[in-house]
Amino acid sequence: MSASAILELRDVGKVFGDTVALEPTSLAIDEGSFVAIVGPSGCGKSTMFNIIAGLLAPDGGEVRLHDQPVTGATGHVGYMLQKDLLVPWRTVEDNITMAKRLTGRVNAADRSEARRVARQYGLGEFLRHYPSALSGGMRQRVAFMRTLVTHQPLLLLDEPFGALDAQTRLEMQQWLLQVWKDTERTVLFITHDVDESIFLSDRVLVMSPRPGRVVADITNPLARPRTVDTLVDPQFVTIKGQIMHLLHGGTP
Amino acid sequence: MSTRETTTPRRAGRAGTDSVARKLARNVGVPVLSIVLLFALWQGIVVYFHVAPYIAPRPRQAVLAVTQNWSTLWPLVLGTIRETVYGFIVGAALGIGLGVIMAKVPFLQRLVYPVLVLSQAVPIIALAAPLVLILGFSVTPKVVIVAWIVFFPVTVNVLDGLSHVDQDLMNLARVYGAPRWRTFFQIEIPATATPLFSGLKIGATYAVTGAIIGELAASDGSSLALYQEHANTNLNTAAVYGTTMLMTVIGISWFLLVVGAEVFATPWQRRTVARRRWRRADRSDEEPAR
Repeated sequence: MSASAILELRDVGKVFGDTVALEPTSLAIDEGSFVAIVGPSGCGKSTMFNIIAGLLAPDGGEVRLHDQPVTGATGHVGYMLQKDLLVPWRTVEDNITMAKRLTGRVNAADRSEARRVARQYGLGEFLRHYPSALSGGMRQRVAFMRTLVTHQPLLLLDEPFGALDAQTRLEMQQWLLQVWKDTERTVLFITHDVDESIFLSDRVLVMSPRPGRVVADITNPLARPRTVDTLVDPQFVTIKGQIMHLLHGGTP
Repeated sequence: MSTRETTTPRRAGRAGTDSVARKLARNVGVPVLSIVLLFALWQGIVVYFHVAPYIAPRPRQAVLAVTQNWSTLWPLVLGTIRETVYGFIVGAALGIGLGVIMAKVPFLQRLVYPVLVLSQAVPIIALAAPLVLILGFSVTPKVVIVAWIVFFPVTVNVLDGLSHVDQDLMNLARVYGAPRWRTFFQIEIPATATPLFSGLKIGATYAVTGAIIGELAASDGSSLALYQEHANTNLNTAAVYGTTMLMTVIGISWFLLVVGAEVFATPWQRRTVARRRWRRADRSDEEPAR
């Protein structure tokens, strides 16, 4: 394992009945990097996430975080899904501090941090609002802040912008990159959107179904910061072509 | 008047944008109007068909039968209220407890559910006599009957609510490393608030009926139900109607109290912004109030 790896999978695999959800897979994720995982549904990307998060026990292999075995254990990653999972009975502020409330007492410092983060990222006006008053994009931002304040160095984001319209999605992607730069976390980002995977990441893992496995590990050389121009950069188009071929087996 | 009403453009009515007066008119005025209309209909039928007072009294006579005997009736009303409230509390607590246990232990759910359904299939009036034999003529058999009626909708709704908590949300709590008891109190219980109150509201509407059945079967002389029965025997129909109205008022009041509790306990269902909380003294970084 390389010295700067935060997460390492060693021969981690999972079979459900007759279906190989994830072939034994080994990979290492560098600290501070942004890694996108792209693939069609059924390629095992969510299975891999649930194993890393500790929700699912792998059939074999080992998950290591900071070189410590964490296989099957929870409480060591930030985790966010396409569904924002905000609880309707808590205000924005109290939703952001949810993880702390579920594991101990929310103290003044936690609340203060929640307010600071919300103000910093444009939701200061909505701290005492209930989630039902927010738009889809705002809700996802709150969900992401809730993930951020867990102070986990590794964030697992499973299609967090999948339910948003294209315009909001692009805004959220740029917003996410800004937050990622500010907070120096490591991000594993699942998506089925090839453009999104390239736009955001340092590295793209391409997965394919039946059996679920990683078929390519592509280093993304595109310069940061990424802007709208990135989307029409020749290099962007080259990588996109490469991934499309992997996903669709040469057929256009 | 009414034509002007209809030609006025209707406000695209979202509750939050209406004035207090408008809200009050809609939430209190309209129900009051419907009760007034009901009494008017009653009066109209009795007068139009020349109904004899011992068959059906006029509303005024029924109300007078209550107000003129208020000193006799008041303790009886208090007794019925006590039975209703005690029974409701016992039934609600039992209902919540059973719902939680059944949701958490699937084996017990399969074991207990048929018995619960059975308990509701037993005609409650048939249950009263053996209860008197066991518990005597005290307040206890009435409380038991009310609780017997109230617990069932509460259990069913709590069980249903707990079984339908978003599994992704439960998984998220697990990823955070939350202990199960915290997840229970922070996620599962609040997520069940709405179905719980549905069960409580159903229970509240039936609670008074349970208390009256209990009084009929298990009273040693003084109770609202027996008072009504004596009035009926004496062809004092106005008093029969009057006590019926009293019972109804008790039932409605209790239902409204439960609704009030729901409004208080689940502010997120009708508000977009939370009320300011008093418990926090640590708002040093708070922006100045706008």
